[in-house]
Amino acid sequence: SPPGKPALTSCRSPEKETFTCWWKPGSDGGLPTTYALHYRKENSDTVYECPDYHTAGENSCFFNKNDTSIWVNYNITVVATNKLGSTFSDPVDIDVVYIVQPNPPEKVSVTLMEDRGMPFLRVSWEPPRKADTRSGWITLIYEIRIKLDGENDWEMHPAGQQKLFNIFGLRSGGTYLVQVRCKPDHGFWSEWSSTSYIRFPDYF
Amino acid sequence: IPITDLLDRASQHSDKLHSLSTILTQELDSHFPPIGRVIMPRPSMCHTSSLETPTDKDQALQVSEANLMSLARSLLQAWMDPLVVLSTSAHTLPHPSRNSIFNKVQELQEHSKNLGDGLNIVSGKMDPMAQTISYLPYSNNIGQDKISKLTNFQFLLSCFRRDSHKIDSFLKVLRCRAAKMQPHLC
Ligand code: NA
Ligand code: NA
Ligand code: NA
Repeated sequence: SPPGKPALTSCRSPEKETFTCWWKPGSDGGLPTTYALHYRKENSDTVYECPDYHTAGENSCFFNKNDTSIWVNYNITVVATNKLGSTFSDPVDIDVVYIVQPNPPEKVSVTLMEDRGMPFLRVSWEPPRKADTRSGWITLIYEIRIKLDGENDWEMHPAGQQKLFNIFGLRSGGTYLVQVRCKPDHGFWSEWSSTSYIRFPDYF
Repeated sequence: IPITDLLDRASQHSDKLHSLSTILTQELDSHFPPIGRVIMPRPSMCHTSSLETPTDKDQALQVSEANLMSLARSLLQAWMDPLVVLSTSAHTLPHPSRNSIFNKVQELQEHSKNLGDGLNIVSGKMDPMAQTISYLPYSNNIGQDKISKLTNFQFLLSCFRRDSHKIDSFLKVLRCRAAKMQPHLC
């Protein structure tokens, strides 16, 4: 039989400059099946095919800087084809400005500090390399979470636009786990960064 | 007041404007007739679509500061009349959250006015080119029947949402250019 209906599952831009869309294949009808992604930009009738099926892995299409405009709707469809026919996904309309989700902050480091005999932790990090925060093209705010090794609940700390945060008032000694994530001015939270571990002294 | 601080305040207003427009869109969407999505005008029908603006980072970063300011002010100015239309029609909008929608449109108007006043001051301290405002008249109306009212309201809002994102992006780029002596701010 012809292929089952494929579905566009998500589109995401890590930095408001490029984006990737992923799809889920339908059933293959028991035959070799190929997939193609087509798109049309608002104000044009020209239909283009995906410029890059490789960079973002299987069942995806990557749009590099040259293929990415913002404040313009992309009407996107995936078509599955085998020798008995073609099946189209439902079309999806996206504007890249509404699908921004940055990569996690990088170079997260935690240092044990002391202020008048009282220990505290200093967490510092850098924005994800791809996000151009310097020019103001994207503005990121950060959130830190920390917990004692073996405990369930994280303690959250909003850090605003700062890239450095001091955590005072830790009660118990032990190994702490620290992670940081970021959110663009209009978009979605990143995943949490990889965990940094720090040994905190017993203190009373 | 240093221009950095003025642009920082302006960005806070523009950020708020865009966030509010997103909330409003979602609120309206909760009771939106499916046919509305089919008959909704294309974005090219927005009254501001004739204004040429950058469409990616490289383009935006090549635009001069005065021209970025001029674009932001032109877009904002173009919304003064349509925001009144939105506010007036929110009163009789056939939608269960009419009152809340009305209040948020009032907030949009207030932030737009504050932002406009702020940008008048900032642009006065910039190259005279920043004073240039492109005239983008609004003449459509919202319509009479229930479907037209909801559809045109949502359409107008979607135009505002895109434009407020442009304004916000241009102002945040300007904020960082002004702050280049204090790179920790960006
Ligand atoms: Na691919
Ligand atoms: Na581009
Ligand atoms: Na932005």
